[in-house]
Amino acid sequence: MLTLSNVSKSFPGVKALSGMQLDVRAGEIHALVGENGAGKSTLTKIIAGVYQPDEGQIEFDGEIAHWATPGAAKAAGIHVIYQEFVLFPHMTVAENIFIGHERRGAFGLVDHRQTRKDAVELLHRLGVDIDPDRRVVELSVADQQMVEIAKAMVHKVKLLILDEPTAVISGKEVELLFQRLQALRADGVGIIYISHRLEEIFEICDRVTVLKDGQFVASHPTAEVDRDRLVSLMVGRDMQELFPPKADPATIGAVVLEARGVVAAGRVRGASISLRAGEVTALAGMVGSGRTELALAIFGGLEMTEGEVVIGGQTFRKMTPAKAIAQGIGLLTEDRKGQGLAMLLDVASNITAADLDAVSRWGLVDRRQEDAIARAEITAYQIACRGPQNPVVTMSGGNQQKVLVSRWARTCRKVLILDEPTRGVDVGAKAEIYRIMREMAAKGIAVLMISSELPEVIGMADRVVVMREGMIGGELSGDQISEERIMQVATQKIAA
Amino acid sequence: MTVIRTRAQSEFLRRNGSQIIVVGLLVVLAIVGVLVSDRFASVNNIMNILEQSVTLAIVSLGQTLTVLTGGIDLSVGSLISLASVLLSGITNGDPAMVFPAIMIVLALGICVGLLNAAAVIWLKVHPLIVTLGMGAALQGVTLLYTMGPAGKMPLGFDVLAYGRFLGLPVGAVITVALFLGTAFFLRYARFGRYVYAIGDDAVGAQLMGLPRAKVLLFVYAFSGFMAALTAIFLVSRFGVGQPYTGANFTLTSITPVVVGGTLLAGGRGGVIGTLLGVYLVSLLNNVLNYMDISSHYQLIVQGLIVIIAVSVYVEKKRKL
Repeated sequence: MLTLSNVSKSFPGVKALSGMQLDVRAGEIHALVGENGAGKSTLTKIIAGVYQPDEGQIEFDGEIAHWATPGAAKAAGIHVIYQEFVLFPHMTVAENIFIGHERRGAFGLVDHRQTRKDAVELLHRLGVDIDPDRRVVELSVADQQMVEIAKAMVHKVKLLILDEPTAVISGKEVELLFQRLQALRADGVGIIYISHRLEEIFEICDRVTVLKDGQFVASHPTAEVDRDRLVSLMVGRDMQELFPPKADPATIGAVVLEARGVVAAGRVRGASISLRAGEVTALAGMVGSGRTELALAIFGGLEMTEGEVVIGGQTFRKMTPAKAIAQGIGLLTEDRKGQGLAMLLDVASNITAADLDAVSRWGLVDRRQEDAIARAEITAYQIACRGPQNPVVTMSGGNQQKVLVSRWARTCRKVLILDEPTRGVDVGAKAEIYRIMREMAAKGIAVLMISSELPEVIGMADRVVVMREGMIGGELSGDQISEERIMQVATQKIAA
Repeated sequence: MTVIRTRAQSEFLRRNGSQIIVVGLLVVLAIVGVLVSDRFASVNNIMNILEQSVTLAIVSLGQTLTVLTGGIDLSVGSLISLASVLLSGITNGDPAMVFPAIMIVLALGICVGLLNAAAVIWLKVHPLIVTLGMGAALQGVTLLYTMGPAGKMPLGFDVLAYGRFLGLPVGAVITVALFLGTAFFLRYARFGRYVYAIGDDAVGAQLMGLPRAKVLLFVYAFSGFMAALTAIFLVSRFGVGQPYTGANFTLTSITPVVVGGTLLAGGRGGVIGTLLGVYLVSLLNNVLNYMDISSHYQLIVQGLIVIIAVSVYVEKKRKL
């Protein structure tokens, strides 16, 4: 139903797509995979009418299509669920679901009662329990994603595109989503499914197209390829190379940080965790189980209402980021653009941001010294950029993340906390970040990694602490670490 | 049950919190007024407040819509000045010319609004700059046309400003009708929904295929039309158009909008809040008059109110 042939698109200075081809049939779920920067987003936006191709041809439903605006593509029956949601935060759930397709009564006026009624029915059909009268800004990210999915079901879609739909949902919601997608497939809807999670692709997709560097690599039925083959098509390297070997139990040292009975932000309800030198500990659990909040509380970014943090022989009841940094703790936040990097500043300024004392004399920053440090880090971490003066905003997600890692690697002496360190990062950069984490541990630092990606948890962690409803649900180590065990601990009901 | 009720109550408070504050302030001001002067609570004075608030109300109504889309219209002041001199200049005392002059002036308002919107949409210039520039240009046109009061209106044209309808000021009745109509439109018309959507998330609105250009054209034309209507009421009150008569309206038209709880960033608020804001400002000026405080101080107070109101309603940034 959708055929792209020889599609190219350039932006000033970058060739985003060249000679791209894609063929999606009605009633199939077609996976689109590739590293970050491979051109998936550009391709999506061309199909959605946001961008117009420089060359090539799009055929949709047997006709040559030229969509000048997103509205035109939408009218043709194409619906996109973008990774960055298209929701109106101050409108209610019901209003958002029917925006552009308002339920109307007499004289063409918006019928609010009908809108609400239909929204309730639609959400019920999706199997989620969301109050249609709440404003979207108050919903959890997972619920926002479900609203996005509900929007796609309002009108007759012929082609549905989902960009990383499971990045912020987990467990039951993923299952519900997959059920809906299968039902849509049965109705003859064509679905393009973009995901970094390869296991999902094998679970739900019929065919897969691989992109690399803006070019078409291959297209296969999913039954005919395996995970390793897919990864090697995407990057040209093997899966086994992704994770460095785990720590030898003999090299794991003493407890360097202990958090006891932490209560914070209503999301953490009495969690205790201890971190050991030389060990990579993964903090697993569902989205919303309080992982990020626990990490923030330890770092002092969230106020602890109860509990204490013990580090360096001192007990802290009130932690602040300044004290945490002084104690040798580093934190890479989940939201690297909002809370980590100064996007418009250059690589050098970002690397030295948490440690300006080291490059300052008499309160002035020595740019030459800063420059030298930045050059060393760029080489050490293989950060792809034009040099220390390159603004980070122009760099890829993976390289931005490396800048952050190098910043904290410079200042943290005891504990490094990383919240979803590889989200939105391509496979090559992932391997690099894993290697750095392991190196830090080998230097005797206690590494705490928060991750929703189970393969990553299993591949990296010496020990897995699983959170559930704000408390520690259980701990796994060595051979106990498996997807089944983690999910089991993360989802079981707390014994009464 | 109790849980549901408290949620519904807090919902009501959150959605109408700003209006409740404004109503509270209105009550406080009224009490102060009664204490300051025994003439304050007279029918005459209340009619007077209603009459004087008409022009501010109408121009603020238009302004509310531009702010809801995340924009602003800073050309209204000069547009009012130009419309007022054209109205009395073209009419020039001839009763037969009143109707054509009104039509010309209203059409002018719409055209200016459409031009503003076109620059915002197609030249991709921020509304702040577009309308500021438009305002300067219109003031220039006004002064080219006349340096002083222009023409005059025939006898009887002051019915708009001082007439009574069922015992109430004509202008106040028209004002309330316009506000209710616009509130209805915002809530029940698809276009009304889009006004909010565009202000809430402009990029998202485009990705959803919502007609941003049409909505902006409508909203700025509406604002221009309301500014021209304001000029008509002003000329009715003064009997003649003057080249600086609208100058203060650029700022004062924004005051009731933000006082009434409409976010400057757009996407949230409404016209009823604006109407309450208008009455708050009018009542405040009235009370200050009774306290013998000069109009210069009133200007100072208004400037402060805008800043305070915005600081109160601004969405607090999320902490780390």
